[in-house]
Amino acid sequence: MSATTTASAGEARTSRIVRHALADRLFHWINAASVLTLLGTAFLPIMGYQFPWVTAHWIAGIVMIAAIAFHVARSLLAQNLRSMLIGPRDLADLTAITKWNLRVSGDAPPKPGKYSLAQKLIHLLFALVLIAAAVTGALMLVRIDTPWWERDPYWLSETTWGVVYVIHGLAALLLVTMVIAHVYFALRPDKLLFTRSMIRGWITREEYETHHDTNRWQVKE
Amino acid sequence: MEIFRVSRDVYGREVLQGMSWDLLWVFFAAGIAFVCLHALYSWLLAPKRPVSRQTR
Repeated sequence: MSATTTASAGEARTSRIVRHALADRLFHWINAASVLTLLGTAFLPIMGYQFPWVTAHWIAGIVMIAAIAFHVARSLLAQNLRSMLIGPRDLADLTAITKWNLRVSGDAPPKPGKYSLAQKLIHLLFALVLIAAAVTGALMLVRIDTPWWERDPYWLSETTWGVVYVIHGLAALLLVTMVIAHVYFALRPDKLLFTRSMIRGWITREEYETHHDTNRWQVKE
Repeated sequence: MEIFRVSRDVYGREVLQGMSWDLLWVFFAAGIAFVCLHALYSWLLAPKRPVSRQTR
């Protein structure tokens, strides 16, 4: 191996590719902290750990709504939204992944772009469930006293409030399962590079070339 | 196990209150079961990608 090749290989290992900008990482961790606070303040009292949870719950909810609004605005205005949308190539990937896992095909599935189909699906699921929780939670703010208004429990009919509470509760229960699965994947050894990129922002060029189709995710040099 | 929490209003009619919190353990168990099944599948059954030759 020549000195030039060795230097090139060393550069491939150490040069860094930005996967998540600071603003996106801050959104992720603020959202994670608010969701965990919301789940803790919702379910710990139900499990028998009594404490004054309402204020912490609605404040965490407002933080989460603000974070989601920021993320949606940034996604639409400053990011490549297509990298997270599920398209025809993802469906072709799904076919290849299914055949590969069922051993129908011996060809390994194609490498993904910036996000794999599984990552896009969990993002979509989190988006739907968090928006459902946020909208119903925002409505439920009408029923509590805040520094800005006094509670009005009669703003909606009893039946409509029941539906709102069912949607909010179902979203919260789904989040329990989804957070467990999300943390599990974040801690799997083969996924730690993605977790590191959500903390420090980057993956190495070697990881980029090993785990991604460099045509589907083209990075600026 | 109930799916919904219901109460009765002053006229005796059933009023929906929300999801039953008995389901918390179902959703928690579903998460743990998913993790265990995926870990076992990945460890024992999932086909392995061929290791690409990398310049070191």
